[in-house]
Amino acid sequence: MALLTQQLGLSLTHLSSAVIQRHFSITGASLAIQKLTRVRVVDNSALGNTPYHRPPKCIHVYNKTGVGKVGDKILLAIKGEKKKALIVGHKMPGPTMTPRFDSNNVVLIEDNGNPTGTRIKTPIPYILRQREGEFSKVLAIARNFV
Amino acid sequence: MPGRGGPRCGSAAAGMWRALSGGRRLLRPLSAAVRGTLRRGPPPWVAGAPYGVCAETRGAGGGGAGVLGVAAAELRQAADTVLPKFNIDFVVDLLRQENAKDVCVIQLPPEIKYCDYFIIVSGSSTRHLHAMAHYLLKMYKHHKEESDPHTQIEGKETDDWLCIDFGSIVIHFMLPETREVYELEKLWTLGSYDDQLTQMTPQSLPEDFIFGLSPESSDHLETRT
Repeated sequence: MALLTQQLGLSLTHLSSAVIQRHFSITGASLAIQKLTRVRVVDNSALGNTPYHRPPKCIHVYNKTGVGKVGDKILLAIKGEKKKALIVGHKMPGPTMTPRFDSNNVVLIEDNGNPTGTRIKTPIPYILRQREGEFSKVLAIARNFV
Repeated sequence: MPGRGGPRCGSAAAGMWRALSGGRRLLRPLSAAVRGTLRRGPPPWVAGAPYGVCAETRGAGGGGAGVLGVAAAELRQAADTVLPKFNIDFVVDLLRQENAKDVCVIQLPPEIKYCDYFIIVSGSSTRHLHAMAHYLLKMYKHHKEESDPHTQIEGKETDDWLCIDFGSIVIHFMLPETREVYELEKLWTLGSYDDQLTQMTPQSLPEDFIFGLSPESSDHLETRT
């Protein structure tokens, strides 16, 4: 705060709370899930639930744009190995009347599309059904929907 | 042809008392035929979990079909799907025709807005599964008019689990080993009381899981008053 007023050359009393002038760059708001995003594995697979000193990170998004939304396949680096996963929820707000989650949720899948875990406890959005792709298996092992 | 149409119990909230009485009647003759782990003690229907009862029939053996047929006549509901011709009875008949083993039809309550009927089918081999799935898809395409487009077979690259989503019916074709691993019947009939779900809770998140990392912390500079 003090630094800011020095830079602007104004005194504190003249600085209103509504006007803020920024003279340094900031990164934009984060998009949904892209490379090097830390994600949360929500199924009960052994790989996703054993503790490790590094959180699982996305290293590739199988998408034309590099940003993954709900229903996109990504490649994760988990416990020193690479694993494919499916995004089931992200922190970024999506279209209206779709759920927004507080964590970037991901379900591990194999290369042939079978889910690695057998149960999912967190809510899964219904929009996975309308999307083109192989999501019925993930929906089949989910417990509750949103 | 054994007793037509696998017996299914309706379990809408209004008719839950009927489902309870009918469900218990169905479960006892099934307990001998069913794999031991599927039913344990009194089912927790009274707790208000309005899940449909899974009616399991053996396609080839046909054991106990006579007993089940009596209860089925009372509890069978009118089949209602998107298409008048491609309904649940038709699907189950087709599966029987294909020598599908362990046809399990679960009717889901409308609170679960997923589908009306959830079918799990076992096959003897990978080719059998593929043949069944393609045959069902072909019959569906033959009978549908214009209402429900884009039904695809999911899991064509796998060799143990295929599935087709027909809107109000979802069919899963699995090998018996895969079926044992996932135990979908337990999940969809028992709901929260499923044992795999309860075993999940002791596993907590890892120590360094960064859940509440807010964008204001260290990634970029921001000014606020």
